[in-house]
Amino acid sequence: MSEILGLWLEWLPRLLGGLWLGCKVAGLSLILGIPLGLVLALTVQAKSTVLRAATLVVVEIGRGTPALVLLQLAYFGLPSAGLTLSAMAASVLALAVCAAAYTSEIIRGGLEAVAAGQKEAADALGMSRLDKLRFIVLPQGLAVALPPLLGFSITILQGTSLCFAITLPELISQAYAIGASTFRYLPALVLASLLYAAICIPASMLVGVLERRLGAHHRA
Amino acid sequence: MNETSATDIRPLVLVEGLRKSFGSHEVLKGIDLSVQRGEIVAIIGPSGSGKSTLLRCVNQLETHTAGTVTVAGVTIGPDSASHDRELQKLRRNVGMVFQSFNLFPHLNVLRNVSIAQQRVLGRSQAEADERSMQLLTRVGLADKAKQYPARCSGGQQQRIAIARALALDPQIMLFDEPTSALDPELGLEVLAVMRELAEGGMTMIVVTHEMHFAEDVSNRVLIMADGEIIEQGPSREVMQKPQTERARQFLSAVRDR
Repeated sequence: MSEILGLWLEWLPRLLGGLWLGCKVAGLSLILGIPLGLVLALTVQAKSTVLRAATLVVVEIGRGTPALVLLQLAYFGLPSAGLTLSAMAASVLALAVCAAAYTSEIIRGGLEAVAAGQKEAADALGMSRLDKLRFIVLPQGLAVALPPLLGFSITILQGTSLCFAITLPELISQAYAIGASTFRYLPALVLASLLYAAICIPASMLVGVLERRLGAHHRA
Repeated sequence: MNETSATDIRPLVLVEGLRKSFGSHEVLKGIDLSVQRGEIVAIIGPSGSGKSTLLRCVNQLETHTAGTVTVAGVTIGPDSASHDRELQKLRRNVGMVFQSFNLFPHLNVLRNVSIAQQRVLGRSQAEADERSMQLLTRVGLADKAKQYPARCSGGQQQRIAIARALALDPQIMLFDEPTSALDPELGLEVLAVMRELAEGGMTMIVVTHEMHFAEDVSNRVLIMADGEIIEQGPSREVMQKPQTERARQFLSAVRDR
């Protein structure tokens, strides 16, 4: 046991580096993906049929394509189309597309959960479409969407392990490399999963707390 | 400017040949209604008679299938080919109070009353808040300004909703069963505010099940059944000597309760 602890201590800096890289990729793809998801959630309800159809295509492709395939398209596919990206850039791009598609559905659900009476009250007060959205519908809809959005963010963080397939030196790549050079795959991968758990379990608990809080606030 | 002067003899609200269908079901079958400035009109009738739909057509929360609705000189035709701008212009003159209050749960009471003043009338936050505090004082809820709606009773919420609608200085107030979601006791405090408004000369159309309010406070009562106005006239006359059998039937049914 103490032997394994010794190995873990020795590997920890390297694995933490990998975890940090995964967090950066997850963070950047969410920073890009969630605002895009919000835009898609709004355009999917647009009056224009063209805009609606275009949104549906983007969302369905984003959700229908496995993240691993998106990653490989971005890293191995795009160079044939004249765009060569680093492993980091390709990871962020692919996961941002994935995040945009999924979060657009989460946000759309949140916006639809806003009671019809709220929109009617804003209409009756003569508020413009944009003001109604900005001051009445979005604040309430995003509050509903916040817990599932955070839950999805955790999924994206775990999803960064797929970037292993396109040579990004994130946590799993590091653990695999350690395994390959020491033949101690099991302890290396166990430590990697403990590190994921150390972030994901508290984050999930936080989501639970938040869900209860928001639920209490909204019960009128 | 003419259309807002107090001596204007044209009706403030004019509804002509109004029809409304939901799918193949016609809920309003040709309604004509005119409301003069300062008039208080109560609309009563059994559920499903179309009274709420009629009210909601006045500020175009429902579009109508045929006919026209004119409020303070703004006319809206059927199936609202009208632009948002026209609708906003009409709604600017019309305040509405809903059965389920529909306060904004994420804003405190003061913001609930101020927000549309700022966004629709372009008042500064200070001006809006000052007006809001006046109105909240008037409905007896100045001390709730910093609370969230969920912390207020139903009666308080409805009084806040009235203040919110009044804050835009509407020319007419629409009430859609404002006391139906309240205990009788809480309903009374809302009715008291409405009575005060009526005494202050506000033009009001009130869809209600409160027969006392209809009889004592309103000038005119409309009885609706099956999408039509079956009887209308001065409140006491209609309530005490209804002419049609259908109206007699309805009134005796609500009185027997």
